Amino acid sequence: MWLTAEFGDVQSVAAAIGALKARGFSAEMIDVFSTEPVELPEGLLDRPSRMSLVAVSSAALFCILATLFVRYTQAEYRIVTGGMPLFSWWPTSVIFYEFTMFGGISATFVMFLVESGLLKRSRAMPAPVLEARRIQLRVGCDPEHVSAAIECFTRAGAVRVEKAGDPS
Amino acid sequence: MDTAVEIRTDPLRSALWRPLGGISRTYALALVFAFMAGAWGLACWGYQIVRGIGVAGIRRPTMWGFYLVNFVFWIGISHAGTLISAILRLTDAGWRKPVTRIAEAITVFALMIGAMFPIIHLGRPLVFFWLLPYPNSRLLWPNFRSPLLWDLTAIVTYLSGSVIYLYLPLIPDLAELRQHSTGWRLRLYRLLSIGWTGSDRQWRALERAMRRMAGMILAVAVSVHTVVAWDFAMAVAPMWHSTIFGPYFVAGAIFSGIAALLVVMAIIRRLLRLEAYVQPVHFDNLGKLLFLMSLLWFYFTVGENLTTWYGNNPAEMSVFGERIRGRFAPYFWTMVGCNFVLPFMLLSNRRVRSIRTVTISAVAVLVGMWLERYLIILPTLSHPRLAAATGFYAPTWVEISITASTFAAMTLFYLIFCKLFPVIAVWEYKHVAHR
Repeated sequence: MWLTAEFGDVQSVAAAIGALKARGFSAEMIDVFSTEPVELPEGLLDRPSRMSLVAVSSAALFCILATLFVRYTQAEYRIVTGGMPLFSWWPTSVIFYEFTMFGGISATFVMFLVESGLLKRSRAMPAPVLEARRIQLRVGCDPEHVSAAIECFTRAGAVRVEKAGDPS
Repeated sequence: MDTAVEIRTDPLRSALWRPLGGISRTYALALVFAFMAGAWGLACWGYQIVRGIGVAGIRRPTMWGFYLVNFVFWIGISHAGTLISAILRLTDAGWRKPVTRIAEAITVFALMIGAMFPIIHLGRPLVFFWLLPYPNSRLLWPNFRSPLLWDLTAIVTYLSGSVIYLYLPLIPDLAELRQHSTGWRLRLYRLLSIGWTGSDRQWRALERAMRRMAGMILAVAVSVHTVVAWDFAMAVAPMWHSTIFGPYFVAGAIFSGIAALLVVMAIIRRLLRLEAYVQPVHFDNLGKLLFLMSLLWFYFTVGENLTTWYGNNPAEMSVFGERIRGRFAPYFWTMVGCNFVLPFMLLSNRRVRSIRTVTISAVAVLVGMWLERYLIILPTLSHPRLAAATGFYAPTWVEISITASTFAAMTLFYLIFCKLFPVIAVWEYKHVAHR
C-alpha cells in the first residue's frame, strides 16, 4: 500500500525522508511529487543514472553504423569518382559526425523515458493530484510499517496524510 | 465550454495560460491573413510544379536564386532558438525563462520552412526522395562526398534534436494543463504529457536530459550552419572558396536568430499581453547580445572583403566590384546599414536602448541578413570564372510570392502554437519558489 503525505516546504520533506530512511525505508520506496523540481539536499534521495553512459555508447554505435553504411554502399553502388578512391574519410566525416550526434540525442530521449519511469507506469499506483506550492511524499510500505511511516510524516510537519492502494 | 482550459486563481497560471483560451479580433485577423498568404504561396508552388521550374527566374549560370537564399536565411533563423536557449540554459542565466520556449519554437518552425526550399528548388518535388540514400536499379546513388548530402543529414539531425529539445520541457506544463482541460484539449494534453506525474525521478531525468541535450544541440547547431557554409565554400568559386565561411555563417546565423527572437518576443508581448513576463530587461539583455553579434558580423565582413581586395585575384575582384560599386552595391550598402550602422546607433548607448529601438534594430538585422544571403549567392553565380558565362538573375513573381508566403507560414505556425501550448514555461518560473 501507499502512504501519501502533503507538505508545504522542502525542509519538511527533507526531514520526513531522513526519518523514513532512518526507519529502514529505502530510496526506491520513496517518491516526491511536485508541480516543479524540488531541490533536496545532496545524498538524501539520489537516483543513479546511466544516461551519459548510454548516450555516449549510442553515439559511438551510430558512428560505427554510419561508417559501415557509407563504406558498404560506396563499394556496392559505385559512382564515378574520376580515379579518386571510392571511400574516403575526409568528405564523409560530416555524415559520421551527424550520425554520431543523432545517436547521442536519440539515446538521451530514450533514457529520459526509461529513467523517468514513463515507460513502465504501474496502473495500480494512484496518480497524485498536485497543487501548486504543495509537495507530496509517497512511500510504499507493508501494513506493519504504516504507523512508523505516519509518525515520520507527522513529526516532520505533514499537512495531511492519506492511505491508498491494496495492502497486499 | 467544451474545450476550455480552466484557469484557477493562481495568478501565474492565469497570466501564462490566458492566451490559450479565447480568440481576440487582432489574433483572428492575423490568423486569416497568415493563412491566406500561406495558401497563396502554396498555390504559386503548385503553379511552378505544373508549369515547370522555368517559371522561376533561375537561368544559367545563376542556378541558385531566391529559393537558396531563403534556405540559408531560414536555417540561420533556426539558430535563434535552440542555440540561444542552450547557451542560456548551460550558463544558467536566470533571465532566460520567458525567452527559451519562444526561441525553441522558432527553431522548429524555421527549420521546417528552411528544409522545404531545397525541395521547392528541385522543380520536380515528387522525386525529392532521390536525395535520400537508398539503393536503386538505376544507380542513382547519392554521392556521399557532396555537401548537399551533408546538408540532408545535418538538417535531419538538427530538426529531430530541436523537436525533442522543445518537447521535453513542455511535458510538465502539458501535464498540468491536462488536469485543468476538457474536450479535445484534454485528449491532446493527455497524449502529449505521456503520463507525467511530477515525481522526483521524472524531474531529475528531465533535468539530466535537458543538460545533455543542451550540450549536444549546441554542437549540432554549429555544425548545421557550418555545413550550409560549406555548400558554398567547397566550390572553387570566386568569393566562396574561403576558410572563414564556416564561422562567418555561424556568427551570421546567431545574429539573425537573435533578431528573429526579438521580433517574435515584441509581437507576442503585445498580442498575448505578456508585458509582466517578457520585460524590458529581456530586450535589454538580448539587445546587448545583438549588438555584440553586430560587431562580430562587421569584423567578419571586413575580414572577408579586405583579404579579397588585397589579393586582387581577377575572378574574385569582378565579384567584389559588383558587390561594392556595381549592380549589387545598393543591396550591399543597405546590408551594411541594416546590420551594422543602425544597430550601432540604436544599441550601443544604454540611454537609447529600449524595447522599441531593440525591435527596430532586430527588424533591420533581419532585412540585412536576408540581403547578406542574397549577396553571397547571386554575385558569385552571376560572375563565374569564365567571363563569357556571366549572367543575370531577376526573381519572378512566383519566387517573390513563395518567399513572402514563408514569412506568413512562420506567423501561422506561431499563432497556432500560442493557442495550443504556453509560450512561457510555467514550471520554470515556479521553480524559484521551491529553491
